[in-house]
Amino acid sequence: MDRVVLMLSVLSLGVSSQPITDGQRLFSIAVSRVQHLHLLAQRLFSDFESSLQTEEQRQLNKIFLQDFCNSDYIISPIDKHETQRSSVLKLLSISYRLVESWEFPSRSLAGGSAPRSQISPKLSELKTGIHLLIRANEDGAELFPDSSALQLAPYGDYYQSPGTDESLRRTYELLACFKKDMHKVETYLTVAKCRLSPEANCTL
Amino acid sequence: MRKVLEVILLLLLLVFTHAKGTRYSPPGKPALTRCRSPEKETFTCWWEPGSDGGLPTTYALYYRKESSDTVNECPDYRTAGENSCFFNKNDTSIWVNYNITVVATNALGRTFSDPVDIDVVYIVKPNPPEQVAVTVMEDKGWPFIRVSWEPPHKADTRSGWITLMYEIRVKLEEENDWETHLAGQQKMFNIFSLRSGGTYLVQVRCKPDHGFWSEWSSSSYVKVPDYFHREKSVWILITVFCAFIFLIVTWLLHMNSRSLKHFILPPVPGPKIKGFDKQLLKNGKSEEVFSALVVSDFPPKSSNYEDLLVEYLEVYIPEEQELMLEKSMDLDVSCLKSEGSTSDSDSGRGSCDSHTLLMHKCDGVKEGRERQAEEARRHQKDWKEEASTYSNVDSSPDMSSGRVKTWPSVFSPLPRYSSNQQGSLETAKQHYLSDSLFRPSSTSSCHTQPGHGATEALGPSYWECGLSNKQPHLLHPQGQAQRQLQAHSDDNISSIGRKPTPAGLPSPALRSTEYVEVQRVNEEDMVLLQPVSGRCGDVEGYPQVPHGEDYSKVKGVDGDNMLLLQREVREETGNCDTPSTVATTQKPTTCIHSAMPVQGEAVLGVNGYVDTATVFTLPTY
Repeated sequence: MDRVVLMLSVLSLGVSSQPITDGQRLFSIAVSRVQHLHLLAQRLFSDFESSLQTEEQRQLNKIFLQDFCNSDYIISPIDKHETQRSSVLKLLSISYRLVESWEFPSRSLAGGSAPRSQISPKLSELKTGIHLLIRANEDGAELFPDSSALQLAPYGDYYQSPGTDESLRRTYELLACFKKDMHKVETYLTVAKCRLSPEANCTL
Repeated sequence: MRKVLEVILLLLLLVFTHAKGTRYSPPGKPALTRCRSPEKETFTCWWEPGSDGGLPTTYALYYRKESSDTVNECPDYRTAGENSCFFNKNDTSIWVNYNITVVATNALGRTFSDPVDIDVVYIVKPNPPEQVAVTVMEDKGWPFIRVSWEPPHKADTRSGWITLMYEIRVKLEEENDWETHLAGQQKMFNIFSLRSGGTYLVQVRCKPDHGFWSEWSSSSYVKVPDYFHREKSVWILITVFCAFIFLIVTWLLHMNSRSLKHFILPPVPGPKIKGFDKQLLKNGKSEEVFSALVVSDFPPKSSNYEDLLVEYLEVYIPEEQELMLEKSMDLDVSCLKSEGSTSDSDSGRGSCDSHTLLMHKCDGVKEGRERQAEEARRHQKDWKEEASTYSNVDSSPDMSSGRVKTWPSVFSPLPRYSSNQQGSLETAKQHYLSDSLFRPSSTSSCHTQPGHGATEALGPSYWECGLSNKQPHLLHPQGQAQRQLQAHSDDNISSIGRKPTPAGLPSPALRSTEYVEVQRVNEEDMVLLQPVSGRCGDVEGYPQVPHGEDYSKVKGVDGDNMLLLQREVREETGNCDTPSTVATTQKPTTCIHSAMPVQGEAVLGVNGYVDTATVFTLPTY
């Protein structure tokens, strides 16, 4: 028993011995990956929008007001103030959940183009990275305070319902929500990273 | 009354409206032009009003967030100016779609604008960077500009809420083209490659990672100092150096222009024939041309032949012999030829027949001086046998200097020695012309009586000495000859000429030919020769050119290696008996053939005369 305690303490020490450098590196990697995903999403969306005709565009605008993103159930800070108030761990967990929520539906984004097919694996990698970050930064606090994360699966079927007349709208929504969520994750990660960085002015 | 007033007012209004007619209308459709957020925390929307329809129009902005259905009006119409709506932090939500509409309202109606959906995240346009500082710095003498700035104070980059990227542009004051540099997320930038003394304008702008570029900051002026002098001084040095080298090269070329010209463009040799006159050819007179080509002095005459002779045979006559010379009186050497001979001081000195050598040899002979007479006789005998084997020896004995130069020709005067006998000499004319080059080797070995003579050991030297000895004898009696010899150009001999006595050495450099005529053949079968004279006994004869009839023409060579000479018919002048006899043969014919033993091959001269020197290779002992 003493040995187990000793080993655990050593492990914990080992894990937390280099929080900063490893964390910074991990953060940098995660941030860059998210940025890339966000750029992808932006491009997808703009391509889609440009392919639409004006009449359809107007209709879609009207529809979209109704806020059909599947990640809306995830409560996330929506302004700077809230974001500043949130802890790093909270930000990381929210990011994790957001990425996770898109892991499955992103497959439906796949069309014929290559960028679409790359989204799902990238999301998986990002999720793994964020998980590592969480592990690195958690202080033994609660890992998943929100149980809402477990409710992901039922929403996954939402986007699977077929409907040709709604396909256009669905694609539009999908792409718009994806783009927004990616930007959220990017912002949260960047803020968390800057908060943890040793320099006062986070220029990176 | 009030009702009447109201009706009147309404009528007036109606009149007014009717009076203005169709001018009044509901407002035109406004349009939202743009919405911008400077820091992703607040944002502002601007709209463009449409026509107001002639009536005062009010505008109102209504928005609706995506998550709620309530329609809110713009909280702040003033902060951002005219026709704008400012949303402060409390009213701004990120990642939330806003649906914004502007409504224009006037007395006649309302007009809605097209709604616009915005997400604050995507409308970020930051303010220009602030505190742009431009300084000139130096890097190892080369200046550069360092630009530094700060992000707009509203943008929160410290917490990472906004990530900004910057861009710089530079241009010279007088030019129009900007040079743009992307600076990334750093707040400092260096600009190199500046023009010295120029004034530069610098501007900076920034952009968030997803958003719009900010406006350019205000221009910052910077003047680059002149490092012009430093550059130029080096160039001046280089220019001066090159000019200097160029001057030197030019001067060298000028000095050596001729040689260079010859090197690069060698002169083409033109045909030139000596004595060939082009003008004559042009004139067409070929005869004259070709005659000019004929060299007058070819074939070389015998008189000048001596000029070609280089080697001298130096004979040394010791003083004792001078006394002996005095004794001989009878020789007629008037016909000694004295040609101008160029006797240089060192002719033959270094060769075997050097003065010292001769001296040595002659010294050895001094002992035998007493026997000279006997020797002479013997020599004469030999001569007889040889029948004037020897050609003329042109000796230029120089008593003054103690050496005798003898031309390497057969010593013709030798036979004259016989005159020492003081016998009358039969004048026998036998002239042997010899122009020969006497080899020094043979000279040193001396002409000896070929194969004859007892004094073989002493032969050469003795002969030489004897020669020298004899000559004075020969010359002695011919004072006039000596006078004649005075004319000789040889300096060595000039002194001789002055001497009345035969102590003065025999003839000065006698040139090649000294002709001898056989005087007689005595009873002992000796040929007595005497020098040639134009007329017998005529001492004053100048160097005689041997008449053609005095020469012997070689008829041929018989089997016994005997040279058959053909005597030409000679006019009998009567002055001299001219019996030509040869010791060996006596033929009572007008044509007297004299045979001379030929020791070598017979070489017939051009005109039939024998060059005896080459013919007779005198034996060496």
